[in-house]
Amino acid sequence: MKKFCINIKKYYKYALYSAKAELKSEVAGSYLNWLWWIIEPLCFMLIYTFVFGYIFKSNIEYFPVFIFTGLSAWEFFNRMITGSVKLIINNRGLVTKVYIPKYILLLAKSFTYLFKLFIAWLLNLVLMLCLGVPFTWHLVLALPILIVLYVISFGLGLLLMHFGVYLVDLANLVKIGLRMLFYLSGVFYSIRGRLDSLLGSILLKANPIAFIMDEFRKVFMYGQLPNFLFLFIWFVIGIILCAIGIHVIHKNENNYAKVI
Amino acid sequence: MVKKNKDDIAISVKNLHISYRSIEKTSIRNSWDKKKKRVDVFEALKGVSFELKKGKILGIIGKNGSGKSTLLRALAGIFSPDKGTIDLHHNTISLLSIGVGFNNKLTGLENIYLSGMLLGFSEEEIKQKEKEIIDFADIGKFIYKPVKTYSSGMHSKLAFAITAILETDIMLIDEVLAVGDARFKEKSYNKMKELISDENRTVIIVSHSLSTIKELCDEVIWLNDGKIVKQGDVTSIVKDYEEFMKE
Repeated sequence: MKKFCINIKKYYKYALYSAKAELKSEVAGSYLNWLWWIIEPLCFMLIYTFVFGYIFKSNIEYFPVFIFTGLSAWEFFNRMITGSVKLIINNRGLVTKVYIPKYILLLAKSFTYLFKLFIAWLLNLVLMLCLGVPFTWHLVLALPILIVLYVISFGLGLLLMHFGVYLVDLANLVKIGLRMLFYLSGVFYSIRGRLDSLLGSILLKANPIAFIMDEFRKVFMYGQLPNFLFLFIWFVIGIILCAIGIHVIHKNENNYAKVI
Repeated sequence: MVKKNKDDIAISVKNLHISYRSIEKTSIRNSWDKKKKRVDVFEALKGVSFELKKGKILGIIGKNGSGKSTLLRALAGIFSPDKGTIDLHHNTISLLSIGVGFNNKLTGLENIYLSGMLLGFSEEEIKQKEKEIIDFADIGKFIYKPVKTYSSGMHSKLAFAITAILETDIMLIDEVLAVGDARFKEKSYNKMKELISDENRTVIIVSHSLSTIKELCDEVIWLNDGKIVKQGDVTSIVKDYEEFMKE
């Protein structure tokens, strides 16, 4: 753990710079430039609103905000997980040439995803303003929820990053798992409203993403307090995941260059 | 050359073993029937030990596959030793091989910063040297373009410039003397000599060019099949090696 702190201190500037450069390069080549960061989430929101709001006739209040809040959290998690599986292999040029603590790669990636999440949240606030969702002080509580989401994603990402080096087809498996999780997380339906109370409450407690989405909606839309007890439990689980991941990576990271 | 602090050791390597295990990539299906998996260990280095004094220039020779590059990478910290130890005595080290880890999507300039940071320099230090690096790399406007648009020559020119200008205590050089076109080759060769002649810098060179080794090195190690065959005086070992290769 001490080594982790020293490395983070030593390399966080690298991670920041790398994230900045990556974001810049992402938009440098395209015609609409940084507008894509706004257009993309907005379009997804419109698609889901159309499909589930009008075709499937959802009767949830402020449905676009409902979707957008869930979607932004989901996108962050999804990017972290998908990105980490192939992270080492995609950075082959770097990994085989210099020493870098491998979780710094994930850290740099996570900064870019966080940035995108914040843009999505800004849009969400604009959307709330337009649709007349009441603003409450509970919005501030989105931050601790985000920390829990980040810790869980980072921990899972570390482990997937490690196994992704050795297992070539892990990406396929992860894809299936993520799709399942997506539909079980209630991005476009309310778990509380659709499922009977037993199944719903199991899902909301055992699936961290469903739980976190639900908590985000509470603070964004409904002006409610989040479930602090479960937030804390998931935070602890996330920290344990991170600790295992860091340990595994410290033990194995120098072998990665031999395998890829 | 007269060296100060003659007894200062910069690198000590003891009984270094490195093997490539068959924990190679596998699919989920294959990892189910584990019995089929043979443990296929290829030992790239089998017990290499040496010490190098500060300011010395060490050449490593040997045929292809004898473990030269593995040794350099282990020194740079990219591979961990399976057995044995490497002690760098708190010196900073950089591996000057063809292409320091570039991120292909980013511009050359951004890659200068990223590589520099990975070598342990701060943003300010790199900023001071930025112009020097760009001038030395001499790739014109391409410095503002993504690295993936570079020709292989430009790629190695930039890589060389970064490691040559951002000086570290120990430099590991892997066959890089043949970089770029004739003009850059001469320039890099001269720069290399200038770097090497710095009394405080310790250098390890891996090269197939025996004339380079003879001209630059103070000591030489001859590796064969992961073991040191001979170590010490340059002229005699190079002569022996030449004879060995003729057989």
